[in-house]
Amino acid sequence: MAEAILVPQVGQDLTEAKIVAINVKLGDKVAKGDIVAEVESEKATFEVEAFCAGIVISLPFAVGDVAPVLEPLMHLGAAGETVGGTLAPVALDPVAAPAPVAATPQPPAPDLPAGRQRSSPLARRIAAQGGLDIVRLTGSGPRGAVVLRDVTAALQGSILAAFRPAPGVVSLQNGRGIPVVFLHGFGGELAAWRPLVMRIGVPNPMVGVDLAGHGAAPAASIASFAALVDDTAARLAAAGLSHVHLVGHSLGAAVATALADRTDMQVRSLTLIAPAGLAPGMNGGFIAGFLGARSEAALGIWMQSLVHQPSSLPAAMVRATFAARQGTDAAARQTAIAAALFEGDTQLFSIRAALLRVSCPARVIVGREDAILPAAHGLPPQIALHRLPGVGHLPQTEAAGLVARLVTETIHSTGGTPAAA
Amino acid sequence: MAARELMYREALREAIDEEMARDPTVFIIGEGIAERGGSYKVTEGLLAKYGPKRVRDTPIAEAGMIGVGVGAAIAGARPIVEILYVDFAMLGMDMIVNQAAKFRLMTGGDGRVPFVLRTQGGAGGGVAAQHSQSLEALFYHIPGLKVVMPSVPADAKGLLKHALRQQDPVMFLEHKHLYMTKGLVPDGEHVVPFGVADIKRAGSDVTIIAWSNMVSRAMDAAEAMAAEGIECEVLDPRTLVPLDRAAILASVAKTHRVVIVQEAVRRGGVASDIASIIQEEAFYDLDAPVQIVAGLNIPIPFNLALEKASVPQTDDVIAAVRRVLHSNAMA
Repeated sequence: MAEAILVPQVGQDLTEAKIVAINVKLGDKVAKGDIVAEVESEKATFEVEAFCAGIVISLPFAVGDVAPVLEPLMHLGAAGETVGGTLAPVALDPVAAPAPVAATPQPPAPDLPAGRQRSSPLARRIAAQGGLDIVRLTGSGPRGAVVLRDVTAALQGSILAAFRPAPGVVSLQNGRGIPVVFLHGFGGELAAWRPLVMRIGVPNPMVGVDLAGHGAAPAASIASFAALVDDTAARLAAAGLSHVHLVGHSLGAAVATALADRTDMQVRSLTLIAPAGLAPGMNGGFIAGFLGARSEAALGIWMQSLVHQPSSLPAAMVRATFAARQGTDAAARQTAIAAALFEGDTQLFSIRAALLRVSCPARVIVGREDAILPAAHGLPPQIALHRLPGVGHLPQTEAAGLVARLVTETIHSTGGTPAAA
Repeated sequence: MAARELMYREALREAIDEEMARDPTVFIIGEGIAERGGSYKVTEGLLAKYGPKRVRDTPIAEAGMIGVGVGAAIAGARPIVEILYVDFAMLGMDMIVNQAAKFRLMTGGDGRVPFVLRTQGGAGGGVAAQHSQSLEALFYHIPGLKVVMPSVPADAKGLLKHALRQQDPVMFLEHKHLYMTKGLVPDGEHVVPFGVADIKRAGSDVTIIAWSNMVSRAMDAAEAMAAEGIECEVLDPRTLVPLDRAAILASVAKTHRVVIVQEAVRRGGVASDIASIIQEEAFYDLDAPVQIVAGLNIPIPFNLALEKASVPQTDDVIAAVRRVLHSNAMA
């Protein structure tokens, strides 16, 4: 390995030394202790001693040159060896520097308006993440500074006042901060999110939405996936829910991705559970069987395809789904939507392009034993993929604890959870 | 695990006793530590147990005894040098700063200096300017030294044991008013590593960082604030070098408000360095400027009332907690 012989430090504060003698040439064999060169400063002449043996493999200076102090004067090594392109600097302080503390990722402070408003860094950060213009706030801190409690109060007011429940847009949990909106999958309804919502440990408000043709959603004619997305966006805007976190399952996850792609929505994070629209294929037989079942027993058998372990399908879910069809046109509505979205074993929509444009934190959670949709692959690299073993098409039921934790982490990663006052 | 209540000085003695039993290269020198068992009774009984070769009285010659200790450490022993007052460690600063702190680095890592200087500082007994200082900032500033300041008996024992097992020079700074304080010390082998802070009291509203004798002020202030519904987190770094930055930054991220309490004079103190670390790395977590409560920039007075006024008291900490909560809009 090449060893550098350095130009010696020839005196305090001196940065250069003149080479007055070089006693070797390229290819010469040097023994430890040989005087290989002499350098001179204004004060004295120094002999440069080889501290190891070797063959001179690099000698960039000539007699009369001025060389920088503590830089390599020559290199010794094995015959034929070359000195690497970029040399690692010789460690002058052999003690390794202590590992730097990983800096807490700090979001940049928003530009403060010109003017005399004072505010704490934390207040500015929380206001920015909440989409709140801090200039509009009055501060209760020292000399009128806007501090955290002013911002949290404003956020609380602005979010809760803005959310207007509507048919098929229902609050699942009160809270503070940016709402988390849950979009169910084909054939589902918002109530099924409740067991998951109970396990999610964030203080944000949580809202469930029934997609068109499902649950209590207002009647709408949906001729395509795009129409479904438009309908959902309009209903969210009407409810004051344009600035949200989105959690979606299956078809709902596809809708969520498409919503994140829209300029009239500000989506802070995406959690996509068993998302549809990643690949063309799907289990068309399941849709047909699910829609066509006329008894609860038959429905139950088809719904078993949704999970990997039969015991993980709650009986209550089958009962509720069956009960929702009795005396209503639920099945007809869903069949109409299915015709717009699916054809045989094909999904008539894709979210691959929209996924590439996702700029907020996003993760995909799928079960490895999903019998409804093919395995997820080819996701853009910034989107995390969680593949759960022994889980089917309902990770939020089959692995509720883990899914709740991942939803929590996704929301936290945006810094969007208001700090405890 | 079982624990017993011990005095701080008893915990220190146990640490020294256990390490001397375990490692024959550990010895201790200092003024009055052998025959008299030490001015603070830390070394009581050790002369009888380990003999005069390992427990030695020195003349009143701080520079000499510190030099002896550093040299012995370089030569392969594990000396403890007890200096009666940190103020007198100044007589040995060349040994500490230019020799002990530098030796390992100047020898390319070959030489090690496992030298432990035990001393005490702090105000409160009316022993005036030359016997009451808190000088940790001087040692904090010197790369190559570890700075350890236990506040309770368990930490005193565990940290001293660790000091006597590791390889680098340690300034082990005790406090004259902590020697008789009591606390639970775990039974059995109790070793506390350097660089790990201890949350003496968990809370979510304000972080109070304090060390040595100021920990009890912080705890008293926290109790007073709790009656008003404000939960303070008291973080004791235990070792100033190495400093547990991660614990400090995590606490700040949680509470958003920091008060640092140091008995030492405000100017150039360790609190200012910690505050600068916090403002640099956790700026966007702060809802208020970091408050420092520290000693006045004066030598400690002889007069007892003036002495009390010159170092932080519990009310000063409470006032700082209120300021950092913006409870006082005039601040």
